[in-house]
Amino acid sequence: MRWGMAVDLTQCVRCYACVAACRIEHFLPMGMSWPRLVAMETGGDSPTVSTYSVRCNQCQNAPCVEVCPTGATYQREDGIVVIDQDKCVGCRYCIIACPYQNRTFLSKDKDKGFFPGRVETDFEKAGKKLYRHQVGTTEKCNFCVERIDAGLAKGLKPGVDREATPACVNTCPAQALTFGDLDDPNSEISRLIKEKNGFQLHPEYDTDPSVYFIDGKIGYSDEPELRDDSRQEPASAGAER
Amino acid sequence: MSEKKIIKTTCKSCHGGCGVLVTVENGTIIHIEGNPDTPTLGTMCSKGLSSIQHINHPDRLKYPLKRTGKRGEGKWQRISWDEALDTIESKMKESIEKYGPSSIAVSQGTGRGYNRYTHRLARSIGTANIITPGYICHSPRLGMYGLVTGYGRLYCDYHGWGGEFPKTQISWAKQLEISSADSEMAVWFLNSLKHVKNLIVIDPRETALSSRATLWLQIRPGTDAALALGMINIIINEGLWDKEFVDNWTYGFDKLKERVQEYTPEKVAEITWLKKEDIIKAARLFAEDTPGCIQVGSSLERQANCGQTVRSIICLLGVTGNIERPGSMMSWIVPDSGLLEEFFQELPLTDEMRKGIVGSETYRMGAARTAHSDSVVKQLVNGDSVVKVWFSVGGQQILHLANTQEVLQAIHNVDFLVHADQFMGPMAEHADILLPAAHWLEMDDIYNMHPRFMIEAINKTVDPPGEAWPDNKIFNEVGRRMAPDLWFENVEKMLDYTVRKANITWKDFSKMGVLAKIGKDQIYYKYKTDYWKKGGGFPAPTGKFEFFSTVLEDMGYDALPYFQEPGESPVSTPELAKEYPLVLSTGYRQPFYFLSQYRNIPWLRSFQKDPVVQIHPDTAKEYGIEDGDWAWIESPRGRIKQKARLFPGIHPKVIMATANCFNPEEPGPLHGLLTSNPNVLTSNDHCDPMFGSPDLTALLCKVYKVE
Ligand code: SF4
Ligand code: SF4
Ligand code: SF4
Repeated sequence: MRWGMAVDLTQCVRCYACVAACRIEHFLPMGMSWPRLVAMETGGDSPTVSTYSVRCNQCQNAPCVEVCPTGATYQREDGIVVIDQDKCVGCRYCIIACPYQNRTFLSKDKDKGFFPGRVETDFEKAGKKLYRHQVGTTEKCNFCVERIDAGLAKGLKPGVDREATPACVNTCPAQALTFGDLDDPNSEISRLIKEKNGFQLHPEYDTDPSVYFIDGKIGYSDEPELRDDSRQEPASAGAER
Repeated sequence: MSEKKIIKTTCKSCHGGCGVLVTVENGTIIHIEGNPDTPTLGTMCSKGLSSIQHINHPDRLKYPLKRTGKRGEGKWQRISWDEALDTIESKMKESIEKYGPSSIAVSQGTGRGYNRYTHRLARSIGTANIITPGYICHSPRLGMYGLVTGYGRLYCDYHGWGGEFPKTQISWAKQLEISSADSEMAVWFLNSLKHVKNLIVIDPRETALSSRATLWLQIRPGTDAALALGMINIIINEGLWDKEFVDNWTYGFDKLKERVQEYTPEKVAEITWLKKEDIIKAARLFAEDTPGCIQVGSSLERQANCGQTVRSIICLLGVTGNIERPGSMMSWIVPDSGLLEEFFQELPLTDEMRKGIVGSETYRMGAARTAHSDSVVKQLVNGDSVVKVWFSVGGQQILHLANTQEVLQAIHNVDFLVHADQFMGPMAEHADILLPAAHWLEMDDIYNMHPRFMIEAINKTVDPPGEAWPDNKIFNEVGRRMAPDLWFENVEKMLDYTVRKANITWKDFSKMGVLAKIGKDQIYYKYKTDYWKKGGGFPAPTGKFEFFSTVLEDMGYDALPYFQEPGESPVSTPELAKEYPLVLSTGYRQPFYFLSQYRNIPWLRSFQKDPVVQIHPDTAKEYGIEDGDWAWIESPRGRIKQKARLFPGIHPKVIMATANCFNPEEPGPLHGLLTSNPNVLTSNDHCDPMFGSPDLTALLCKVYKVE
């Protein structure tokens, strides 16, 4: 079992819903964002506009795990890299080690409210009780382990059942994000990566990320062999995706 | 004991209508996410999700206020709702007595599900002077669809309910993928792209979709009619038109054929700055790989030639037979609740109302049922205004109307201005009475999706702050005072009335959440049945799809489509172009803002602080502008500044400015209204002859660095 995510660059429309959903899911302080959008607008005769929705890659050879002196950052059996806030001493070695800049140190000035000095909203007050953010420690995307663990305990399947699937994946209006088990060759994510030549960011770092990206053209005008009947199947509204 | 419940509701943060699940614990919203059991499949964008920051926002308006100082001075006194409503009632009645009911104007914003209240209130008072952004967004389309087909609403069939998805899609001046505009949801559109063979994107600048599309046409802003007519020319001259449809179900094909002869590929290429081969390719793809549909963007309706542009596009749909066919343009059957427009249509427009409409004599399509906003502005500025009392709900006309300086002057000249809003903004600052409005998370209402195949329940999740009221209550209470027989005992009764045709009450509907006609409930090829006309046909005067419009002919307009240069362009005003050499388009939108909304929502503002103008790197270099510099954008009307983003995907002769922006945090009364809002640059002097739409998205400008 190795949880992974595929981000489809042909679908992503730079709407920031994934960022907002993560902020809600984890009651993130105003200065904190676990996922980020990285815009690419290339020049030349046919410039390409792409948005990379990036978050911790849950690398299998994770440099952040290697450098962590306290064991606060560690990798779970299912491949997810997590941080134990009780053990993190805020040395920030991991922030320097992560070649993808996916970690953020929660400093005092990042621990801001929505409306600093004016009002603390009911949502923020509730968040303080429901989700812990420890100033002086490092944070990052955790693949929504809370949802995965609670979902698995109920017998649900991450990537298939919403309750067990990361918040950003569920909300994406473009359905650009796919979550699932990379070790299962029959999972939707494995199929996508195989069919669409999924790639990892900076393979030269040798970190083996669990987040893949896929890209391609829209439409099948250049690939007549794909004109099969399955494309004509009517979708039923309200169906599970 | 803590109480936790999940409430199903509908997002109204844009013109979409995503199904939402809100978790409320002890009266506090602790979570919000999409509802998977609705047609939007549980997806939600950043705008809707960030609604959490609307609730308890410290700047929310909480109590009715009355102005105590000079207009716009920012001096207010808290008053009761009774006093506010009493004042509104007496001012309106006084004005009606002195000047007649047409002296009352009712204005609205994008009308996300509440248009029916605006119109009912106006009609119940006896006026049709409704100021709406319709004429620059959606209405020209609907008006033209209505003329050509006899039926007013056509939408793309992204759903495959008829067994087929569109094979060729044209996304024309639109980014449905980021806007869920007109309730044709991004999630449906993007899903349909998985089935598309050809995607053609027509846009002056590159987007994520265009860079992966089959064909991208980087058109000169404002020349879209020429492109459509050129495509029809190719389709007809190459014999690619849909013979079955054209022979049996259309009127005036030969005349259209004759008309488009002047739009040769060569000539159109010259007009539009496109390659001739690309125009030919687009025409062939659209005619050969059917079914197909065209997503029409409101940028086309923000141009003074919009009537003909939209018309040309409909004719393109007609020659290719892309009407009522699965995977083409559909007019959807409405749910059992009927057309919610009946809520106001049941109060007919009287001759007196019609006569009182400002601009109706000039703009006979756009100002037939609502006022021509720019004419209202001009009259107010000239001091001969029909409109004396302005009741404004849900939108800031001060931002979206052309030529802000004039609009400001006009607003200063209104006798009495009432504005309802959630926050203090440039429009609110100029009101005499200011009413606090509720957010969609704080109200019960019925959302009416533009494609009209479904309605959705908006269910209250928490109380509004202070004494804020939902729009429907504001309308009902004003209505009860002005025309007691035509309004309701309370909002619940009004909502019961709205869904009565489905034999349900509001409470029933509130639990159901969605009432829809989807899948097999929809009927395709209605013109081949008795649906519109016994024996088949369209509900237009000739019973056919009218390439040659008999109605327009009667009205004295050209009965055939044609291309008209924008009022200001390198071609129509070459002298002016010497001083203002660049084409200015103002259609740039960010997915996390909605028109003038949300720049005060911290999460959303964190995504982009300042308004951005896209400039080609070569152009920027020529004018000494670097990425991230503030740049002045100047037109003959004035200048604004936006942050330059060097973007290789935009045409070097075009710049694209961010629309509708102000800075809520800047001091009132203007809140930065004149700093960056492109309507400071736009013109209300040339308007579409049919709809009155001004040139907002195709003008001339120059740029230079802010030193
Ligand atoms: S939610 Fe989806 S479409 Fe929107 S930015 Fe994130 S990945 Fe892209
Ligand atoms: S992306 Fe960075 S933080 Fe995440 S596992 Fe890899 S090295 Fe560690
Ligand atoms: S997987 Fe979860 S934690 Fe990671 S970015 Fe998405 S929502 Fe945030």
